[in-house]
Amino acid sequence: MISFDKVTKIYQKNWIALDNVSFEIQKGEFLFITGPTGAGKSTILKLIYKEEEPSKGTIKVLDNNLHFLKRSKIPEFRRKIGVIFQDFKLLPDRTVEENVAFALEVTDTPPRDLKKKVFDILAYVRLSHKKFNYPYQLSGGEQQKIAIARALIRDPYILLADEPTGNLDLKSSQEILEIMLDINYKGTTVLMATHNQLLVRKTKKRIIHLQDGKIISDK
Amino acid sequence: MSLRIGIREGLRTIIRSRSLFILSLLVAAISFYLLSIFALVTVNLYKMANLLDEKIEIIVFLEERADVQLLKNNINKINGVKEIIYVSAEAALKQLQEEVSETKEIVGIFKDNPLPASLRIKLEPGFRNVKGLEEISQKILLLKGVKDTIYGGELVEQLKRITHIMLFFDIGLLLIITLSVIFVIFQTIKLTIFAHATEIEIMKLVGATDAFITIPFIFQGLIQGILGGIIAYILLTITARIGSSFFAIPFFPRLYFFLGSVLFGIIFGIIGSSIALRRFLK
Repeated sequence: MISFDKVTKIYQKNWIALDNVSFEIQKGEFLFITGPTGAGKSTILKLIYKEEEPSKGTIKVLDNNLHFLKRSKIPEFRRKIGVIFQDFKLLPDRTVEENVAFALEVTDTPPRDLKKKVFDILAYVRLSHKKFNYPYQLSGGEQQKIAIARALIRDPYILLADEPTGNLDLKSSQEILEIMLDINYKGTTVLMATHNQLLVRKTKKRIIHLQDGKIISDK
Repeated sequence: MSLRIGIREGLRTIIRSRSLFILSLLVAAISFYLLSIFALVTVNLYKMANLLDEKIEIIVFLEERADVQLLKNNINKINGVKEIIYVSAEAALKQLQEEVSETKEIVGIFKDNPLPASLRIKLEPGFRNVKGLEEISQKILLLKGVKDTIYGGELVEQLKRITHIMLFFDIGLLLIITLSVIFVIFQTIKLTIFAHATEIEIMKLVGATDAFITIPFIFQGLIQGILGGIIAYILLTITARIGSSFFAIPFFPRLYFFLGSVLFGIIFGIIGSSIALRRFLK
């Protein structure tokens, strides 16, 4: 489903973010990427949804060699991938419902289907009662759930999570992780970058540990 | 993706960030206004220069027995002559009486019409200067039946020169103002788009096409351009009305100015938005 073959990413000023990294992720897998800040966790995620280009090496995602993926095909490609972030990236001037619907509006989804889908997904993250609230009226955990709902509404094949619990307390983090495990259980491949070791150890899932852009362990 | 959603999103952004929209609308309107004032001045100066140019002519006084047709034919052969108008003695007298009402009594003193018949010679553009006037009138003086020629050479030439200098400076200013208007408007558009940076980022993330991201901003630019153009035109009309009580504004093609400022606004809005967006869409 996702493969990295000898991938190196060098940012400007010769900062090596990833150094000759290779790994493969199968369909339906749940993978943690751990490591200290600056180890290259976010870079791996950005390379997967083609926000960044590798300096060397080959990346394949969902049967696409990303190097040959045309610019005009990127939107369609990204619709198959959900992404969530530490800072949620919700639109502050839109309600919960509008924030979630936003992801569907970018394609021609008929209004009726849209309403139904938004309703269902908000029910799934148990926030239906907050649909007319604005993001600032929600707790951090609730905001992240809305971000997850936005990422899931398009039924993505892959869910990428960049430090999704970084801003959350333990209880909320636990909730978010449970949702992500459930999503994975339903068949979506999940990649979660985190440095929350406590959270990771409980789940007994595959962990890739990075340090200075290199894979230290993969088990 | 449908245009409908694009327009709806555009309206949404306008309403959601109305203070920013109003600010950039005012900037656009004032810029267009400044520009149209200078355009109006320029157009009028240009017209004036042309008018002065048209006024340059040679008047040929004829002897009583002159063969008008023959003279006309001969003068027509002179290089630089564009048009010849015959003014009979009677017509000249009538014109004089019309121009100065008191002359009626003065003219009454004479038994006959004291004015000679004349030919008014209009010149080709390249000959509307002192040298051309002199050359042509020398040639005309050699012809039979010509009593005398007169032309307002020096004075007209001076006036022409002054208008041309004014026009030159005015066009220079117009260019500078146009450039600064382009700069200011572009900056305001950039400001608007930067204010929506997160939105654009998220749109890209969830797989919005470039068109989907662009249309709301283009639409906003379009609305801003149209409104800006209309406000500028209204301000210009008010200024022209106030101004015309102090000095004459002979030439004010309202329709052209209206269409001009709106069109200018639209072009600016659309091009500015697309350029400013490009950096986000890379």
